[in-house]
Amino acid sequence: MNNAKSVKLAKLDEKEDYRDGINLDALANEKIALEVEDLSLYYGDKQALFDINLKIPEKKVTAFIGPSGCGKSTLLRCFNRMNDLVDIAKVSGAIKLHGNNIYAPGVNVADLRRNVGMVFQKPNPFPKSIYENVAYGLRLQGINKRSVLDEVVEWALKGAALWDEVKDRLDDNALGMSGGQQQRLVIARSIAVQPEVLLLDEPASALDPISTLKIEELIHDLKDQYTIVIVTHNMQQAARVSDYTAFMYMGNCVEFDKTDTIFTNPKKKKTEDYITGRYG
Amino acid sequence: MDKSLFNQHISRQFNQDLENIRQRVLAMGGLVEEQIERSLEALEKLDPDLSSVVIEKDQYVNGFEVAIDEECTKILAKRQPAAGDLRLVVAIIKTITDLERVGDEAEKIARMAQHIAASMEGARPSKSQFGAVVHLGNHVKVMINEALDAFARMDVDAALKVAQKEAKADEEYNAITRQLITYMMEDPRSISSSLDVMWSARALERIGDHARNICEYVIYLVEGKDVRHISLEKMQELAKS
Amino acid sequence: MREKFFKSGEHWVWFNAGAIAISLVMVIGLVLMIAAKGLSHFWPAQVGTYQLVLENGEVKTALGEHYDEVTPKGGDEFADKQILLKVGNRDIYGLDFRWIRNNELKSVEYIKDITVIERREWGNFYGTLISINVDGVTYQVNDEAFNQMLEAMLERGVEIHREIKTLEKDDIGSINYELEKLRLEKRKLQLYKEDSPENLAEITAQENQLKNDFEVLQEKLFSLYKQLNRDSLQAKAIEGQLREIQASQIVMIYQPNAMNFFNKIGHYFTKIGEFIFDDPREANTEGGVFPAIFGTVMMVLLMSIMVTPFGVVAAVYLHEYAKQGFVTRLIRIAVNNLAGVPSIVYGVFGLGFFVYFLGGNIDDLFYPEAKPAPTFGTSGLLWASITLALLTLPVVIVSTEEGLSRIPKSIREGSLALGATKIETLWRTVLPMASPAMMTGLILAIARAAGEVAPLMLVGVVKLAPTLPLDFNAPFIHLERKFMHLGFHIYDVGFQSPNVEAARPLVYATALLLVLVIILLNISAIKIRNHLREKYKSLEH
Repeated sequence: MNNAKSVKLAKLDEKEDYRDGINLDALANEKIALEVEDLSLYYGDKQALFDINLKIPEKKVTAFIGPSGCGKSTLLRCFNRMNDLVDIAKVSGAIKLHGNNIYAPGVNVADLRRNVGMVFQKPNPFPKSIYENVAYGLRLQGINKRSVLDEVVEWALKGAALWDEVKDRLDDNALGMSGGQQQRLVIARSIAVQPEVLLLDEPASALDPISTLKIEELIHDLKDQYTIVIVTHNMQQAARVSDYTAFMYMGNCVEFDKTDTIFTNPKKKKTEDYITGRYG
Repeated sequence: MDKSLFNQHISRQFNQDLENIRQRVLAMGGLVEEQIERSLEALEKLDPDLSSVVIEKDQYVNGFEVAIDEECTKILAKRQPAAGDLRLVVAIIKTITDLERVGDEAEKIARMAQHIAASMEGARPSKSQFGAVVHLGNHVKVMINEALDAFARMDVDAALKVAQKEAKADEEYNAITRQLITYMMEDPRSISSSLDVMWSARALERIGDHARNICEYVIYLVEGKDVRHISLEKMQELAKS
Repeated sequence: MREKFFKSGEHWVWFNAGAIAISLVMVIGLVLMIAAKGLSHFWPAQVGTYQLVLENGEVKTALGEHYDEVTPKGGDEFADKQILLKVGNRDIYGLDFRWIRNNELKSVEYIKDITVIERREWGNFYGTLISINVDGVTYQVNDEAFNQMLEAMLERGVEIHREIKTLEKDDIGSINYELEKLRLEKRKLQLYKEDSPENLAEITAQENQLKNDFEVLQEKLFSLYKQLNRDSLQAKAIEGQLREIQASQIVMIYQPNAMNFFNKIGHYFTKIGEFIFDDPREANTEGGVFPAIFGTVMMVLLMSIMVTPFGVVAAVYLHEYAKQGFVTRLIRIAVNNLAGVPSIVYGVFGLGFFVYFLGGNIDDLFYPEAKPAPTFGTSGLLWASITLALLTLPVVIVSTEEGLSRIPKSIREGSLALGATKIETLWRTVLPMASPAMMTGLILAIARAAGEVAPLMLVGVVKLAPTLPLDFNAPFIHLERKFMHLGFHIYDVGFQSPNVEAARPLVYATALLLVLVIILLNISAIKIRNHLREKYKSLEH
């Protein structure tokens, strides 16, 4: 009851209706991987996401941009139910992965997360060897055969453009790598379990410009095989790597369109203000 | 779009940079207008001195173009402008090219005026011929003026109005052409001077085109829509939608 | 100038440095003091011959080691000084020590052929050798063959003594153990009404077999004793009393006044070795403390084995699974307060709950045949370890929780995002990374447990345990046995001994040993922790 009330209040406060900023027609020629339907998220009594309606195209890069605290990371974490870890988080609405609601009761969250991989803001390799980091997800699935692991580790490291740099020191501790290498290792770790969707939560924000470019290049290479959703503070990065962009503001999705459109001619003033760096 | 938007960046330096190039574009426009006016006067009065002034001052116009171009490059490199800011910079880069061309056209007219003034008394075109050209000149001068005004105020309606005026400039130019052809057929001796007048009219007609181009940039700047190479009606339709 | 000094905060730096310096001095001073007092005990002291003229003019002679001297407060440095002599010969004087007054002292001589004989009973004998009887032949001290024969006799004595010990402890001990087992089995059969003649006959057969073995050994033992008592030694105390000492009674003979420096060093290390590796004698005042060292280490290890999994599981539940709220906060407060409960209270609890309740029930269920003699229903190694595990549990819980909360959230998320369940994440990533913190908890637990004495007195430690809790009789580890402990040994020797003066240096030596054992245990734990830390060094966040 309480939640419903606060929704209404929030809507009254927020007089603008954001639906007309969502240009889903732009996706006419795309296959859809994820559909977000009326998604709201509450942290306790505080609503963090307001009736989000979005579609994420398959094998494309979709970027979420927006000011800090706008809910873009929260939305991203809804895609693999990472918000389940927060006790007070409550979700209403649905997210459909190929038509199946991932919030339906009885969904195996571990399977979902294997299917929807995630890379975080700060590189978080495990304090193990490079090899074991990449093999982690496979070992979880009970795959321990050395030949299989060897093959997948090499494949994943190559996929993350890291193989040539580390092939001679696979048994070294992953924490001895540079930040950029660590982040690519984390990406390799994620793709080793062959997910369909890859969620990137500000993957380059802790990295130097060159490492950032390498990550961006990697994202470009990966989009042939994975549906990628990326959250970023860096608007230029969103402009460079993504095909579609959603602008989020105060828990609302204000505008969604092709990246080219968003960055040259956004429809909404809020979007324009944000991407041109004006006072909100 | 509100031009005051360019004052609302979080970076005040960015505000200043954008305002600075905008002002310089307007200053350049003012100079170009002056050039047109002077060249028209020189043509009317066949004043070689005034013509020399116009020719001489064209380098200032060129200087403006180079300087503003550089400023824009710097902004692109440093600020990576997006959306409205990006369109402003792009529109300015294009606008100054057109303005520079307008300056060149004015110089051309001044040279014609010099040439005509230097030719023999009998070979000079008649006043009536000049009258039409000067009329056309005034028309395009107003066009340039209003186009710059539309740019300064980011006024799509004004820009559309200016674009509409371009048709009239074309008409007048065609009329002048027909008239000059008649003159030339009547009196072959006047061919040389008629051609000079024709060149001037041609230059003025080009100025009208440039004015329309500037208006198109204004519409692109404000609406984010590309209205080049389409009919006037379509342009209106797009700009209003 | 002064203001500037205070403003710069320099005084706090000095304050800290001073505090650290004082702590260091205290720790080092403590260890040095214990070491000096304890280790000097093993140095062979000169034995002096003291000529005394008593007040009534009587002339007396006393023989002994200068042990201590006291001048009463305000007394004269010369006249009132009293000297404590260790005169030994308890069988003659009744006491090992004797006070003499300085003003009665006429002269001190250190005669070379004064001999100290360490005996298995009655303490040291101080005096001069007269003769030895070896295999019926008497050799006088002046005989050429005397020294050689003496040495041979001592060697033989030691050899036979060792044989007897092996026979008694190992062979006969294990036969006794087997016999006891058979007795219990028989009793069990009777209890469960399965005592069919066949079964009983089988047991009886085994018993007889063992008894036969036992008799053979017994015979062997008797013959050894006989052999041992074949030889003897005659010695004379300073006042002329003659004593015949059986060779079997002699541990060591030495002449301290005749020793040079290197002899003394050799003697010194022999004594230290004896102290560490031998069993205690004479109500713990002589001999070594090996069973106590063994018991201490064993108890600490058992405690570690028990407290670590319990503490870790509790911490993991509290930190990872329990819903954070009032109840968990309450539990945390309770756990923290448990650390502050006086240890004797744990001892009482251990006695009441573990020993009587749990142990009693275990006996009822599994060892009814041994009743009414308790097996687990009495204090023992297991209960002592569990009690100490309970005592140190809070430390392990708190530091493990600390370690768990220090693991960056991103690591858990990284694991979960790869499709790991919570338990997989814990098992594969979080717990290994928290292992250094667990080790820290264990180190603190060891530090506390190894030094704890009071609760142990209630739940398992004894003054003298006849057997070690670890031997070659299946099942090798005997958790129900009572054991000795260095801490309790200190208390016992220092305060419960009939011979307090003699025991005092032993108290210091044992204390030093206890400190060393704790340091050793800690260092090994710290080494393991540092290794783990290196392996799982967490991300710089």
